[in-house]
Amino acid sequence: MEVTLRVFRYNTETGRTKPSFDSWTLTDVDPTDRVLDLLEFVKGYHDGTLSFRRSCAHGVCGSDAMRINGRNYLACKVLVRDLNSTTITVEPIMGLKVMKDLIVDMEPFFESYRSVLPYMINDEVPADGKERLQSEAQRERFDDTTKCILCAACTTSCPSFWGDGKYVGPATIVNAHRFIFDSRDQAAGERLEILNEQGGVWRCRTAFNCTEACPREIHITQAIAEVKQAINTGKVD
Amino acid sequence: MTTLISSLRTTLAGYINYRGREGHYSFLLHRLTGLGTLLFLAIHIVDTATVYWIPELYDHAIAIYRLPIFLVGEIGLVFAVIYHGVNGLRIIYQDMVNPASWTIARQRRAARWTLILSVIIWLPAALIMLNTLLAHL
Repeated sequence: MEVTLRVFRYNTETGRTKPSFDSWTLTDVDPTDRVLDLLEFVKGYHDGTLSFRRSCAHGVCGSDAMRINGRNYLACKVLVRDLNSTTITVEPIMGLKVMKDLIVDMEPFFESYRSVLPYMINDEVPADGKERLQSEAQRERFDDTTKCILCAACTTSCPSFWGDGKYVGPATIVNAHRFIFDSRDQAAGERLEILNEQGGVWRCRTAFNCTEACPREIHITQAIAEVKQAINTGKVD
Repeated sequence: MTTLISSLRTTLAGYINYRGREGHYSFLLHRLTGLGTLLFLAIHIVDTATVYWIPELYDHAIAIYRLPIFLVGEIGLVFAVIYHGVNGLRIIYQDMVNPASWTIARQRRAARWTLILSVIIWLPAALIMLNTLLAHL
């Protein structure tokens, strides 16, 4: 099949300081090709200056979140046939500063992520001196939010994040949830306090774009609601 | 100031260009109906206040409200209040009572049903108001 690929371009190094689009007509595209394959083809055979992030190319590293035909996806996970269109428009994710073509400055995203202490905090020595035991039910409680790959597809699809860069965003809350509801962790109160601040969970307007955009199918809006409940009740169970 | 303008631009571009699903459009409608109702309330408080301060202006304001275009606006206002209320109840239920209902399938269904229910509640009032409007013409 033939596909027209339109890609957002912005590159201060080459003087393309005004955002614009470049188009390529690609023939011999297989419907099961991924959008990342098309970008790689353009970079390899048409324009080597085209810049985008990719690493594993298999939906694990979370490097290639992009806005494809107006919606956030991982370019390595979305197939051409899934887009139901012969014109594919690829743009950078929204709400983060564009550095070059499809590459955005992820630092504010990771700064927000770090703000909720996304690591196990427990200074006590385990009862047997070796390991902290956990039941299957206790592990299941936060299983869903362990799946996050920090691709930012959720955060940059969120209307609250577009409007207020101080909002920590869905990905940060998901990663806080992962530790707040972990029975082995002891810093849930501290994290809930952070998320109860102005830029915390209450900025969520339940637009649900995050859950729809998540390539890992995490129930993000549910996780945010559970954190809100934990703040309201003071209970983590 | 530049940051404010920049984030306002991103927000509006996102509202319009991001191709979200039911949740995105229900969020937009919720925001529009909320802002519409707030705008009406603000104007209404000001015009009611003129009863005390400048009575002749109040009569003038009421005369403006009776213009057909404002009567049409009132029909829209009733929809705004109903949708904002019904959707607000849906969000309260899903977010505060039953977070497990925030699955893609259930959320899409709930958003669609909220719109349908709002229209069903709004229609009788809209028909009565339309009847009044036609009688005024």
